[in-house]
Amino acid sequence: MADETAVQAATPQDSRKETIAFAIGVAGWFVPGLGHALLKMWGRAVMCFLTVGVLVILGAGMRGNLFSSSGNDAFDTLGFLADLGTGTFYLAARSFETNGADVSHAGGDYGTRFLATAGVLNLLAALHSYEAARGRKA
Amino acid sequence: MNVGMGFKLNHLQSMLLFALLISIAFGFLSRRRPIDRVKYIVWSLFLFLLIGVGIGWAMYPFSH
Repeated sequence: MADETAVQAATPQDSRKETIAFAIGVAGWFVPGLGHALLKMWGRAVMCFLTVGVLVILGAGMRGNLFSSSGNDAFDTLGFLADLGTGTFYLAARSFETNGADVSHAGGDYGTRFLATAGVLNLLAALHSYEAARGRKA
Repeated sequence: MNVGMGFKLNHLQSMLLFALLISIAFGFLSRRRPIDRVKYIVWSLFLFLLIGVGIGWAMYPFSH
């Protein structure tokens, strides 16, 4: 009876696999598509890179609001976290948007959504690569 | 690089681009076989546009 309920101890191999999976997830967040590329999922890697990249370029080009860490309220903080989800593309967006944000027109407002969506989408892709690296069906 | 000169997109173009990009990403992440991906992308794009236009019309009375 005790054998049936006993929880199997994690082996060193499991621990190592978990660490590698975590590193792959972080890599996927840092550079969109890198997590899948490390797993040799080339189609997904290219698509993650392109979709997140195009969303960031469009968002910055439409002069969307790229939130910074010095937000005034919870929505600014949430926006910053979403934008930060793009990893290194956050810095790229900062350099693209030299004229600053302009949300006084609909285009700028759409741009803000594009940037936030790019971040959340990249976080989803990073989580997907983490799960795939852990051996979950993906 | 300065893309600050801006992309001038109207509401419909923005919605179409957004829906297309997200549908492609979802399709590639959630399906493995190419045919399944295409089906998922088309279906997701259709639903994005249907719901987007639906919400637009639902808000129409409040704009007058």
